[in-house]
Amino acid sequence: MENSTDDYKIQSLDVDAQKILKTALKDPSAVNLEKVSNIIVDQSLKDQVFSKEAGRICYTIVTAEAKQRTGLVFRKNLLNRLQQEFNDREETRARSLHAWTCFVTFICNIFDYLKVNDMPMVVLVHPVFDCLMRLGQPDALMNEEEVDCLVLQLHRIGEQLEKMNSQRMDELFFLLRDGFLLQDGLTSMARLLLLEILEFRAGGWMLSGTAHKYYYSEIAD
Amino acid sequence: MSDWTKDRRHSTEQDRRSNGPSRWSNCRKRGVDGSLRAGGGERENNNRHPDERSSSFTTPESTGPVSRCSMASDWGSLVQEDEDIRRDVQRDMQRRRILGTEVAQRERKTSSGSSGSHDSKDEDNIETDEAVLLRRQKQINYGKNTLAYDRYIKEVPKHLRQPGVHPKTPNKFKKYSRRSWDQQIKLWKVKLHAWDPPAGEDQEETQDHEEQLELGDVMDIELDFPTLLPPCAAHSLSVQGEDEDFSGTPVKLQKTEDVEPGMF
Repeated sequence: MENSTDDYKIQSLDVDAQKILKTALKDPSAVNLEKVSNIIVDQSLKDQVFSKEAGRICYTIVTAEAKQRTGLVFRKNLLNRLQQEFNDREETRARSLHAWTCFVTFICNIFDYLKVNDMPMVVLVHPVFDCLMRLGQPDALMNEEEVDCLVLQLHRIGEQLEKMNSQRMDELFFLLRDGFLLQDGLTSMARLLLLEILEFRAGGWMLSGTAHKYYYSEIAD
Repeated sequence: MSDWTKDRRHSTEQDRRSNGPSRWSNCRKRGVDGSLRAGGGERENNNRHPDERSSSFTTPESTGPVSRCSMASDWGSLVQEDEDIRRDVQRDMQRRRILGTEVAQRERKTSSGSSGSHDSKDEDNIETDEAVLLRRQKQINYGKNTLAYDRYIKEVPKHLRQPGVHPKTPNKFKKYSRRSWDQQIKLWKVKLHAWDPPAGEDQEETQDHEEQLELGDVMDIELDFPTLLPPCAAHSLSVQGEDEDFSGTPVKLQKTEDVEPGMF
């Protein structure tokens, strides 16, 4: 069963790019895979919606390429481009919070989808943690956009991430507790998000029924 | 907040600061940006004691293992390497299964009731946990990926090797505690240093060292490394979480406070 390419949310790309991607999804050997990975990464840094879904596109291309047995060129290009962006993340953050949060969303999405032997790629574990730790820093917690990004990623991949390295997860949560308790100037929304994620993890990466009610139900007047 | 809780929070913070990132970052051969660390990282290693060994094992006199070729630090290659190691380990496991039955049959034929114990051939003495095997294989690869190892295998053919004198690659399929294994790897690499190229010699490109899967790598036919700890002591040591720190770095003994005096 083939996913219609609408599922991949590529509408935001220009027509040529869309065409290349569609081809890549079916027949990777027919396109320049370095170009494809650049298109995907570039778009992920601009478009929040795309960055949440890009992992699936990448997964499909990698799988298709593996079947063709031409070597995993796309994956290699993608990862190396990702690594570049990771190395430049501080500049990206200084330039644009939006691009920075898109990047984090993207790399976490890749972590989630691009598995090797049914396990997340080991090489991404520390970089992902580095990004999340950055989001947990005092200056980042002041921005709701960054807090929102942080808790979203933890909801999506926290459990898997913890399995790969629980020590770093502990460290991250030390930071988050500190931020929640000690930091002046946090918006109440930021504090709400932090409290929810603290409870979420404490509950084994899920919320109890009552907690869920508290955070997610409409408040009746 | 009461005074008591204030103090408690404060001291925990301090503990955490000093034990924080540097604890795990010490073990990593690569910095967060993927570049190979020589002997220490940048910001994360400020807390390290100056005498502390670098993350690759070294003997006090040498400057470090001389790599034949730099292991890749770009993510694309690292993922590929991980896959390759996994494939190699699975191949080894398969060979072991096949060869194991052959050797066992041979032994039954020539068995003379001698006292030689081959209990590692018992099923319960074989390491089968893939995660453990992968980690061990990586550690072995780091040792084999050196000029010293290349020179050693050229100089001393297998049939001329004397146990105890010549380094022998630890057998990853045998059951050992984590500490025992790490210790064997460390001693093995120390022994290999005897074949380091003399300083100043041109480090010419040695031929690509194909993973010569020697029988000894999958079976223990010769005498093994002496067990470094009596079996009961080895088992009572708390084995570190086998699933920690999968980053492609050589794992050294991390908890130095566990080391008993006279261990080295």
